[in-house]
Amino acid sequence: MSPGFLYFLETVLNGLMTGVMYSLVALGFVLIFKASGIFNFAQGVMALFAALTLVGLQTGQVPFSHLINAIFGTEFHHFGWTLPAFVAVVGTLVVMVAFAYLFEKLVLKHLVNQEPIILFMATIGLAYFLEGFGDLMWGADIKALDIGIPSGGSFWLEDVTREWATEGSDYFGMYIDKLDVVAALVAVALVLVLTLFSQYTATGRALRAVADDHQAAMSVGISLRNIWVIVWSIAGFVALVAGIMWGAKSGVQFSLSLIALKALPVLILGGFTSIPGAIVGGLIIGVGEKLAELYVGPFVGGAIENWFAYVVALVFLLFRPQGLFGEKIIERV
Amino acid sequence: MNRAVDPRELKVHRDDGVAKGDVLLEVKDVSLRFGGVKAITKISFDVRKGEIRAIIGPNGAGKTSMLNVINGFYTPQEGTITFRGVERRAMRTTDAARQGIARTFQNIALFKGMTTLDNIMTGRITLQKSNLFAQAVWRGPALREELEHRHRVEEIIDFLEIQHIRKVPVGRLPYGLQKRVELGRALAAEPALLLLDEPMAGMNLEEKEDMSRFILDVNSQFGTTIALIEHDMGVVMDISDRVVVLDYGRKIGDGSPEEVSKNQDVIDAYLGVPHE
Repeated sequence: MSPGFLYFLETVLNGLMTGVMYSLVALGFVLIFKASGIFNFAQGVMALFAALTLVGLQTGQVPFSHLINAIFGTEFHHFGWTLPAFVAVVGTLVVMVAFAYLFEKLVLKHLVNQEPIILFMATIGLAYFLEGFGDLMWGADIKALDIGIPSGGSFWLEDVTREWATEGSDYFGMYIDKLDVVAALVAVALVLVLTLFSQYTATGRALRAVADDHQAAMSVGISLRNIWVIVWSIAGFVALVAGIMWGAKSGVQFSLSLIALKALPVLILGGFTSIPGAIVGGLIIGVGEKLAELYVGPFVGGAIENWFAYVVALVFLLFRPQGLFGEKIIERV
Repeated sequence: MNRAVDPRELKVHRDDGVAKGDVLLEVKDVSLRFGGVKAITKISFDVRKGEIRAIIGPNGAGKTSMLNVINGFYTPQEGTITFRGVERRAMRTTDAARQGIARTFQNIALFKGMTTLDNIMTGRITLQKSNLFAQAVWRGPALREELEHRHRVEEIIDFLEIQHIRKVPVGRLPYGLQKRVELGRALAAEPALLLLDEPMAGMNLEEKEDMSRFILDVNSQFGTTIALIEHDMGVVMDISDRVVVLDYGRKIGDGSPEEVSKNQDVIDAYLGVPHE
């Protein structure tokens, strides 16, 4: 094989992996949007908060230590233990469910039957609150997240692919981050579990019913408020998974919450109401931006990756505003 | 799986502690306003257990608003509603459903993306013992319960003769069948009071006859109390035991179909009053 083709293959594979990471974030948006019509601006910050909590629990940080120390003049920072990764993940999950419960109790409950824009504003508020709350609770320093997921390039893959290249070429083998492979597998598992859950459990059926028609759901006795808590808990769980993957890749810090911005073009492409759409949209964006960088980048001075996704989204908005998998928009006059 | 079901073996009716013929639902002096618009003014009537009670009236008479008050979508500004001996004014819709009030809608409110089977299964949510959270986490006991519910839902599907569309997403069904699925979903809740909002609107003659038969069967064989809104006078006179007539949000007649059809106010409301 010529090195050119191998570069292409490597780029596509890396694009797919990156795309999966985008899909993980987009998935959280879709879940909440489908069930309640709320665009959850805070999804990215929820991922950041989940990752912060996970690291904090795992390394035995004292929550609110800066606050406590400032008030009481003490010097607590660490409990002096470290928790196994699994325990820390379960602990974080409990925190995210508690968060969903409180958000429903303190905010959503009071905004029932309000315009979507009002609820959207509430999630913007939530985003800023959670950002500050996360800093206050766990500190603003950059943290490393390590729960034992393998990372770095695979030497095996490099060796194998080097053999494929034409004799005498300067191809040094394919680089694919093992972390990305794990993330892809996790995303596939996550989608499978979510699908099974929504298709084959009574709870899933109730969720689908609410997503379909609020009024009818209420008339058969489904409590919307219980459903909100469940949906936000699941979104919290998805945020945790996204937070773990992105945190392990690039460290836990404020910029983690900005991954939500990359989820936007994914949603416009895939449709706001479709779980398969979030996956396919993520893959298209991931592959698209990597290929554009490789082939178009050199002509315009590079750095296409940062804006390419948004241009694709804009073009999509012109021709298919509901996205690839979104419900068709039919307007009756 | 086309087995015939004897509806008498089918328990599609929950024990509500009210004897047959006694008052199941009493609406007393209920008024409902939207801003300055009076939808309902001081309306009182009752529904007795075991009867088919029709609510009729010209367009905009407040019939649907009345149903929405009964099942908790609207909270009236004045008056009380007593259901199964418990008085209330404000009530959440989910609570009304839990007390045994099931309904269908004028413009069909089914879950369009879900199959007939799934739609009717949602009707049993108020009868589920394990709560939604528990089910999400631990499937064991929930699974057994799910099978029981499934069994009852299959019986309702047989009763309504819709076996052939069990797995079809309801959004693709013709209008008449959707109405039947919606009735199935309401029946699945084993309601003490079944509210039907224009169950025959937009149907052809054959579909109307089918629907009338189902309504009569539900009432006579399950003993389910039914309150329905209907425009087709022939149907109303045929199937209902008592009729309440509304016009401009007020009650203008109440009694058996014969009495109501001789009532001068009712005739005026429907045919108009000649101007001298």
